[in-house]
Amino acid sequence: MAVAETTAPAPARGEPSAVADLAGETGARVWLRTAVGHGVLAALSLACIFPIYWMYATSLRRPEEVYNVSLFPWPLSVGNYTHVWDVIPIGRLILNTFAVAALISVGQLLVGLLAAYAFTAWRFRGQTLLYLAFVGTWLVPFQVTMLPNYTLLYRLGLLNTLAGVIVPNLASALGVLLLRQHMASFPRDLLDAARMDGRSSWSILWTVVVPNLRAPLAALSIVLFINAWNDYFWPALVLQRADSVVQLGLRGLFVGVEGPDWGGLMAGSGLACLPIFGIYLLLQRHVVGAFVRSGLK
Amino acid sequence: MTGAFVEIDALPRPSATVVPVAAARPSPARRLLRALPPYLFLLPAIGCLAVWTYRPLAAAVNLSFFSWNLLPTTPKEPVGLDNYRRLLELPDLWHALWLTAAMTLALLLFTVALPTVVALWTSAIRGRGRAVYRAMIFAPVLVPPVAGAAVWQWMLDPTSGAVDRLIGHPINWIHEPGPAQIAIVVITGWHLLGFAVLVVSAGLAGIDDEYTAAAMLDRASRWQTTRWITLPLLSPTLVFLALMTVLMSGQLTFPLIDTLTQGGPDSATTNVYYLLWEWGFQNFDAGFAASAGLLFFVAFGVVATGLVRLSDRLTFHDN
Repeated sequence: MAVAETTAPAPARGEPSAVADLAGETGARVWLRTAVGHGVLAALSLACIFPIYWMYATSLRRPEEVYNVSLFPWPLSVGNYTHVWDVIPIGRLILNTFAVAALISVGQLLVGLLAAYAFTAWRFRGQTLLYLAFVGTWLVPFQVTMLPNYTLLYRLGLLNTLAGVIVPNLASALGVLLLRQHMASFPRDLLDAARMDGRSSWSILWTVVVPNLRAPLAALSIVLFINAWNDYFWPALVLQRADSVVQLGLRGLFVGVEGPDWGGLMAGSGLACLPIFGIYLLLQRHVVGAFVRSGLK
Repeated sequence: MTGAFVEIDALPRPSATVVPVAAARPSPARRLLRALPPYLFLLPAIGCLAVWTYRPLAAAVNLSFFSWNLLPTTPKEPVGLDNYRRLLELPDLWHALWLTAAMTLALLLFTVALPTVVALWTSAIRGRGRAVYRAMIFAPVLVPPVAGAAVWQWMLDPTSGAVDRLIGHPINWIHEPGPAQIAIVVITGWHLLGFAVLVVSAGLAGIDDEYTAAAMLDRASRWQTTRWITLPLLSPTLVFLALMTVLMSGQLTFPLIDTLTQGGPDSATTNVYYLLWEWGFQNFDAGFAASAGLLFFVAFGVVATGLVRLSDRLTFHDN
């Protein structure tokens, strides 16, 4: 924002429709500011998108031309993709990651739904304290709990299993807090009416509350899925093998015999991003809405 | 609050309690039965928290008074406060704390300052342009950390990376302290910027247009309106973002540090979380790592409380 604007020169007597006119700005200045704004935004947007473009561009070059820096990869080739397919079991890794992320997000959704329902449909002893227990998890750094959790997984025999990644992640404070907020704004009369009809609280949850929360549930599940897909720390700790989930498989490609295997790494990374980008492109509006809501707690 | 039922929510509620008003005095057993349902619904979630968050927190407190190498066969050796004493005397700790603080401050540029500017500018744009800019800036949020680390390491490669070719001057980004620190901050910022822009944009959308329109009528300039009307109303959002950055920056940079620099060169890019990881899982000094973790827990708790207090004092509520 240009500092020069602090002094608004000409008094405005224009039509109140255009806000810029009210602030006493000439057409040229408005035009200039718009142009500068667009220029900066366009540059920033390109800078943000460029690494993603470059990843796919590199992956689509012929393997022997990976070091070429021409902006457009030509001729196109899937050589890097077949190569990464041979080196690491990328298909199975992606399937594993998908299964882990899906189970984690579904579990968090279910557990969160039940807890949020308890917080909204009843007033009970210890409610505030239990609610604070959820908020408090934000403060406990993962690194404090990792050692005891690691030893517990060891005793349960879950180290190096996908279950070991999933089970400790089944409750998400974010899910509980978000759903509670949505349920709190749910029309109470509907709940009361259902209760009058003699329905059990369990059936009210599934026949009245859930059908009316479809949009927030969908949005939340997307965020939870993406979070689980992108989680790195805990899988790295629990699964000490490269052939488990996609993030760990990729990490193995960083250390090649002759330095990193750039072509394979870019192809593998590109594949690891695809499911998330797919979800984003299909459900763009929901994804954006969901991230906004998760940010506004 | 973005629920679909906000308006309805604003209506007064006749009675907050849903527990049916008991007619006569029911027997204690029946009353217990009636009080039970909310606890049953909460059981799975609370059970998870108890087992995977609060039990380990207590266990970490316990562990911090022992010396143990993580092997189930070796016994834990009680050492009293030794772990804490060693910790406070360790120069590594202060170095890592200082670096964490510096990196967090630098990250605020990407999670508070830049998003505010971008959100203000994009919200002034009408039509498709706004959606296109925001979608492009948002895309990196979706990239898995290891994939992000991979592509950035490729772009920063000193012999054939795109960045050095672009600036025409070879810089060994990953293996020199200064550039490596910049790289970690910029890459993390790249991952977070889109999310922060979205949050600020949502905050902007929640501000009533009438305030700015009124200020404009009073012949306030655009800058004055932004500075004295929009920013104060936006401050809860900005403090929230700052809080998130402070609490999460250590965790967010972890995958990058682990894949790109391993804390180096010369521990220039380490941070408190990476240090904990090293102590716990590379040096197998479990008690020491636990005591350090708890210290950080308390420190972050204090910082977070301070920020919440600050936000209460600073923020203007739009009533």
